[in-house]
Amino acid sequence: MTVAAARPPDGPSAEMSAAQAAVLARYDEMAALLVGMDDRPRADPGLTAEAAPALLHEARLLDAGRFEDWLEGWTSDAVLWLPLSARAHPGTDQSLLLDDRRRLAERVDWRREPSAWGQHPPSRTTRVVGSIEAWPAANGLVARSTLLIDEHRHGRHQALAGYQIHELVGDDLHRRTKILVVPALGTGVRNPSFLL
Amino acid sequence: MTVINSDTATADFEGLVQPHRVHRRIYTDPAIFEMEMTRVFAASWCYVGHESEIPAPGDYRTTTLGLRPVLMTRARDGAVNVLLNRCTHRGTVLAAEASGCAKRFVCPYHGWTFAPDGQLVAIPFPADHAVEDRSTLSLGRLATASYRGFVFATLNAEPEPLDCWLGEAREAFDTIVDRHPGGDIGVMGSPHLLEFVGNWKLSWDNAADGLHATFAHESYNTLGEMVDTETVLARDPGSTPMVSKALRNGHMVVDQRPGIPQGPWATMRRVPFREPLETALVDAGEESLLDLATGSMINLSLFPNLLFVGNQLLVIEPVAVDRTRLQLWLTSAPSAPSEIDLLRLRVDEDFVNFGTPDDLDMFERVQRGLSIPEMEWIDMSRGLPDSDAADGDATIYGPITSEAPQRRYLAHYAKLMTTPAATRAR
Ligand code: FES
Ligand SMILES: [Fe+2]
Repeated sequence: MTVAAARPPDGPSAEMSAAQAAVLARYDEMAALLVGMDDRPRADPGLTAEAAPALLHEARLLDAGRFEDWLEGWTSDAVLWLPLSARAHPGTDQSLLLDDRRRLAERVDWRREPSAWGQHPPSRTTRVVGSIEAWPAANGLVARSTLLIDEHRHGRHQALAGYQIHELVGDDLHRRTKILVVPALGTGVRNPSFLL
Repeated sequence: MTVINSDTATADFEGLVQPHRVHRRIYTDPAIFEMEMTRVFAASWCYVGHESEIPAPGDYRTTTLGLRPVLMTRARDGAVNVLLNRCTHRGTVLAAEASGCAKRFVCPYHGWTFAPDGQLVAIPFPADHAVEDRSTLSLGRLATASYRGFVFATLNAEPEPLDCWLGEAREAFDTIVDRHPGGDIGVMGSPHLLEFVGNWKLSWDNAADGLHATFAHESYNTLGEMVDTETVLARDPGSTPMVSKALRNGHMVVDQRPGIPQGPWATMRRVPFREPLETALVDAGEESLLDLATGSMINLSLFPNLLFVGNQLLVIEPVAVDRTRLQLWLTSAPSAPSEIDLLRLRVDEDFVNFGTPDDLDMFERVQRGLSIPEMEWIDMSRGLPDSDAADGDATIYGPITSEAPQRRYLAHYAKLMTTPAATRAR
């Protein structure tokens, strides 16, 4: 597991292409957001109040299965990342998922596909968002909140807890980055395809 | 140490595995599960980990083999050891982390101290202690052997040499390793850990099942169709030239390569961050390497706990008769351009998200269906009769719709269950 910024190994193309550098820069930015979270000072009260409705709205859309509406709330360069641990890096560690805008749309398509047996019948979820904190960021804010997700499916139940980091930008506070950390992913969960 | 060789439960097992059908009890009976943990998992070679995961002396990784906590370590002399993760004083599990580096393993209970090769090196207050020969108190040791850097271990008292046990499977194994530049393959840290409410053999029944791709993975194939990509699973299983092979010792191969003449990379949808990395490789004249970003298109299954699927190692970890944990490790290509591993990470997530959930759902549905006592049998007859090879050691070849691989692994499994080998810690 790599804590620091990922650097390509000294392989044949150790001199990095510009394209690769751009990809790694985005990955490094996400990893830094994750790793640096615990060191942040006390939150900004005004921004925290501003972030709360956006986070609660997102949770409500997801619980209601309104995925198309949820999809609207992302920027074109958005990334949704579910690492397998709080020390992971997107360029060196497996993730449960790391979606760009295109794969987010595919994910919604998949959820709607009747033969997506893993979500048909769908999970019924209840999200509890808590401990919201927010700080200023370029063109918007960064928020951290805790999340409890209670899931029912096929007559079985599982409850998962974790925290989420949102980078929200612009007047509409669209999601540019979302990182959801669920520690149970590191010990074993049943079909996690309800996690978003 | 103690040799386990009980045959009390053998009589109970007779008739449960027949050539064309198997009884539900092998998936639902806790007593059978308990027997399997010794007769199958302790008595067979099992995959433990990859040498590259423990490069330096003192590096270790923990896992389980047939529920037994085990420890893979790199000793000071560089040798890889697979040890029982159990203090020889009163039984405390020594290493509680998934991996780490330790010059010594100090038991947290009373401080007995073991070297990475398993030797007891210190006992606190030794004067009080009656033990004269400390060498009898080393950690329990498994027979250990490596193939191409992959470490296998067993408690079988007289194991077949690893090379013989692999047998014909070595051909596919070599192909999978050798496609990596320099034959250099690594394993990234932190596996996906996915559990399902079902018996571990459900993942075995699935591993060489070419037919389910059309039905269970319809959603994956539909995502491909939406963007005009014919995924590897979207081929007509009745006419594809893909080949399935049922090997000795329950190993299985599905060779998909004959069915995808355009090569592996052409079967992939556009994964996130694909374009810049792909363009960089094409511009560098290394387009042919893109196939490395996806799997070898050979599914190799080494009974009872290792499947090579895509670029993943899928390790099957039984937890209970109706509970299984899948460890999904991602392999890397350390000597390839670094774009390859960056692409692999995103390719890896593709099937995990849009294919695996559907498999997991099938496993749980089957387990639920098998709970019905009045419906006793599972049909495994597709493709019968098997060639004469079925009784011998030779490989059985067939179309991917044949259930010969399932029959063959189950026949091997039944043999292990009814003629148990002695197991012991060394
Ligand atoms: S149990 Fe390990 S020292 Fe006592
Ligand atoms: Fe499958």
